[in-house]
Amino acid sequence: MAALRGRPAHSPGPTYLAYTPNGKKLITVGLNSALRVFQHGSTNEPTIIDVVTDGHTAVVATNDFIVVGAEDGSVTKYSLLTNSMEEILVRSSLPIRDLSLSKDGEWVAVASDELEVKVVNTRDMTRIMHLREQSRPVKHVAFDISGSMIAVSCTDGIVYMYSLSSEQPQLVKRVDGLIKTLETDAEASAKIAWHPDGRAFAAPTSTKDIQCVARSDWARQKAFTGGHRADISAVAWSPNGALFATAGVDKSLCLWETRSQRLLKTFEDIQNTILAIDWHPTDNVCSYTNSNGELFIREGFVPGEHAKHLRIALQPSPMNSDPLSEVSGNARKPLAKGDKHGGSRGGAEENYLDDLLGPDAMSEDEAGFIEDDDGAGYAEEVNNFGKRSANGIPGRPAKRFEPYSAWQPQVHEAFQPGSTPWRGDRRYLCLNLTGFVWTVSQDTHHTVTVEFHDRQEHRDFHFTDPYKYDKASLNEKGTLFSCRPSIQSQQRAILYYRPHETWTTRTEWKTQLPPGEEVISMSLSESCIVAMTSKGYVRIYSLFGLPLKVYRQKSMPAVACASFRDYVMTIGNGAIGGDGTTQMRYTIDNIRRDESCQNEDAVALPGGTQLRNVFFSDKGDPCIYDTDGVLLILLHWRTPGQAKWVPLLDTKTLDRLASGRKDETYWPVAVANNKFHCIILKGGDAYPHFPRPLLVDFDFKIPVSSMAAGAAEGDEGELAQVKALEESYVRASLQHSLVQDLVENTNATNAQKAEVPMLEREVDKALLQLLAAECREGEERGMKALEIAALMRDRSGKMLEAAGKIAARFQRDILGEKITQLAERRLVGLVDDEDM
Amino acid sequence: MALPLPPGLTPSEMAFLCEMELVTVIPRQRLEGLELLGGPTQPLNPPFPAPLPLWLALLLKRQRRANIRTPPWLRPDSLAAILEFETDTAKEAFSPPPNLPPPTTTSLHVDQTTAYLPATATTLELSPPFLQNSTTSAPPDALPYHWLELSQLLLAAAPDDFEDPDSVRRLLRDLREVRMAKLRKGIEVLDAGAGIKMNGVGGMEIAESRAFIGGVVDGLRYVPSMRSMELWGGGGGGSLCGTE
Repeated sequence: MAALRGRPAHSPGPTYLAYTPNGKKLITVGLNSALRVFQHGSTNEPTIIDVVTDGHTAVVATNDFIVVGAEDGSVTKYSLLTNSMEEILVRSSLPIRDLSLSKDGEWVAVASDELEVKVVNTRDMTRIMHLREQSRPVKHVAFDISGSMIAVSCTDGIVYMYSLSSEQPQLVKRVDGLIKTLETDAEASAKIAWHPDGRAFAAPTSTKDIQCVARSDWARQKAFTGGHRADISAVAWSPNGALFATAGVDKSLCLWETRSQRLLKTFEDIQNTILAIDWHPTDNVCSYTNSNGELFIREGFVPGEHAKHLRIALQPSPMNSDPLSEVSGNARKPLAKGDKHGGSRGGAEENYLDDLLGPDAMSEDEAGFIEDDDGAGYAEEVNNFGKRSANGIPGRPAKRFEPYSAWQPQVHEAFQPGSTPWRGDRRYLCLNLTGFVWTVSQDTHHTVTVEFHDRQEHRDFHFTDPYKYDKASLNEKGTLFSCRPSIQSQQRAILYYRPHETWTTRTEWKTQLPPGEEVISMSLSESCIVAMTSKGYVRIYSLFGLPLKVYRQKSMPAVACASFRDYVMTIGNGAIGGDGTTQMRYTIDNIRRDESCQNEDAVALPGGTQLRNVFFSDKGDPCIYDTDGVLLILLHWRTPGQAKWVPLLDTKTLDRLASGRKDETYWPVAVANNKFHCIILKGGDAYPHFPRPLLVDFDFKIPVSSMAAGAAEGDEGELAQVKALEESYVRASLQHSLVQDLVENTNATNAQKAEVPMLEREVDKALLQLLAAECREGEERGMKALEIAALMRDRSGKMLEAAGKIAARFQRDILGEKITQLAERRLVGLVDDEDM
Repeated sequence: MALPLPPGLTPSEMAFLCEMELVTVIPRQRLEGLELLGGPTQPLNPPFPAPLPLWLALLLKRQRRANIRTPPWLRPDSLAAILEFETDTAKEAFSPPPNLPPPTTTSLHVDQTTAYLPATATTLELSPPFLQNSTTSAPPDALPYHWLELSQLLLAAAPDDFEDPDSVRRLLRDLREVRMAKLRKGIEVLDAGAGIKMNGVGGMEIAESRAFIGGVVDGLRYVPSMRSMELWGGGGGGSLCGTE
């Protein structure tokens, strides 16, 4: 290796460096009053910029200029074009400790021994933002990749996260207990290093490890452990995020692989503590400066067998679990940025990609969208980037492949109703009105806890789960779990059912699916178990594990399923609509009677909305909730071809949101007791999290008109009241027809039968109130009033009699006469439904 | 035999009356509806929330058979908003009580067929504890009549059902001090025939300050008469006090 001899850059003392983003220049600063600009790839003597300051403590660089901080408190901008000083950006009364530059080079954040952090515009030094929340001096600052967030490592051991997206910087989060409490002039570092994909950052911890933390929820993710025996002094991600270099104050330097957090190499030949590391943006070169004024430019830094890591596209940050891929069995691997032409790369690299993202990285080979059933080969196996691989035709220009890979249908992702993705190390597997099932990841195994709302009826239980169950379904009778197949341990997918109560010994059972088959969505009802698998099968078992039926779903890939008693509803992706998105199709079957209630009917979702949840209401009607916040119920679904989706509630029009101040969404749980039960999510959360939030219920409100009830006084208020009455009429009629359907099509109980006339009266009551409102309005509204009277459902004439009374009360005599006539016609059996 | 109690309700009696207020509970086990003297209760069916009188809710809470949902006005943010209103906006006045619902008819079981008709003359203005001011449907921006005693009872019996019981305690103490100071300040302007507006003052606050205010007003009643005594003959004031 050429450059193991350090280049004495500055007089012995702390030295720092920075590469320009284009990789052409390397700038070092140190104790003496000179800056050195090295040309990349040249062994010539560096250019020297003589400056007036000395004791430099930080440097950041763009292609055109550099910004240098010094112990005398000045932050100076130097031009790289003229190699001369341009201006002093900001002057602090105390030494500068760290600088960070936003990616666009617009803003530079300055950490000094003063309490506040200044963020200065590099073009206009009069524009300054102040970050003032921290209570002690700040040691490090770090802009994230987007430049909208800044991580401030304070000497009180807390990382302050500020959002710069608004005019005033806002403190978003204090991350406590992550970094060590350090003095501002300590050699050890607490600097946050943002992973190049922007979803996570790494921070040196007090346990001499480097911990990754997700930006979305500040939960701890993977950690790089066991490499250092002393505090960390510098860290740097490789430009594509696949490698990670760390240095410790015990004169150590380690190279890690991001994906597995494996220690690739420990460098033994370090003489002094490394204070700053920077990767060359493109080449296999990593440079570092130490506390002795020396610069090392290490060419061939990554050893040969691992050098391919540097050439691959942007790698994801080391998360415990990828939320997207975790919920859905057939999620596509998100396309990495900058890999648009993945197909045109050399074969070796392509192969490498495949084995890098090998079988454990959510392979979807089995769940291909197109089934190559006749072997004609039109459906090439896609690789993990969702593209067809180019192995067979090396060296072809990328353009030829664009037509194949440019467009792909948008497939609705599968989900398990009632589950949430991983957040931190825990997630809900199932959350409903019976109780909730949650699991905690312990790396080698999970622990599953089932808790019930009704503690008297059922006893909570808890078990250690070596299979890592990822789906669960809970009802009054038992709990159903399933786990994914694992390639390593040759483990097949398992369905596991555990009844809550038995009168013999516990009859829990497990069943294995055929090899390579995986449960995509499943559901548990009072009489059967339904599992939709990755091979497109719907497998139905009895509660005692007896396979009842297996059939292949008509629309694939599967999305979700739900069941209620013997009714099974399966949803899959159907034909592709005009917007390139597949239309979801549902089928409702009665398992016992072996008949289809609805066959491949559309799940009515407008463009751009997704299905959030699907479940049966407590009365046994299918309900869906979409990402627009609308709850829909299926009406007349027991008769084939008659089903229609009726909105029950649009959560965007709820009164509590009318003020416009609340920013909340709702996570659907159930429809029961004529109410919508949900969990309120605040602050842009998409899923509920721990501790378990409270269930909230809302009354149904069919979106009939946009008038907010009770919004104003006087005329407005009266109008709102009429609108509310109209809504209650539509709602009562809907409930009436739902119950009537139930009574006509099933062996209904007496209570259910008694409900029909009661709801009929509700409808008529709403009509009477509407009639009264119309009568109050005036004589000219008589026609409408008569129409309302004719809508009355009651056949005994009692309601019409009451209607006549109302007309008389408001002295609408003509209307009264007409209503009496109508009542008489009905009484003698001249039913006027057809006339209307 | 005269009752050795001062006139009006004592604080403990106030607290007892407060236990009739309805609160929302989340039951943790089933319970059939109970026929109570105060009216029937809803059957409890977890996890559906149900309104129960406070005394029953506290009983179930102690037996860990239910969780009590704190009313909206007892959340830290609502209390902070009310406190801010009390200190900054309202000046002398108290924060207003929750709006009363429209008056209802006296007969509770209205004939179904006539329910649509406008209310007849015999209407009834509801008052605590028949107002649902402490259930989850209560308005978040107004302190109900029994706010002080209700919050004390809830904080004592069900602190684990609060989001942040310590800050609720702190805010409640601040509120109480602010309002007490206002009440005391009001006494300064009390004169013969003068009054202070006590809209929005809670039951417990009245009960607590009744003895003090009553004493002051009684004392003030003598002052004008004393003055007139002085006008007439002087020196009579002392004897008047003596006869008291």
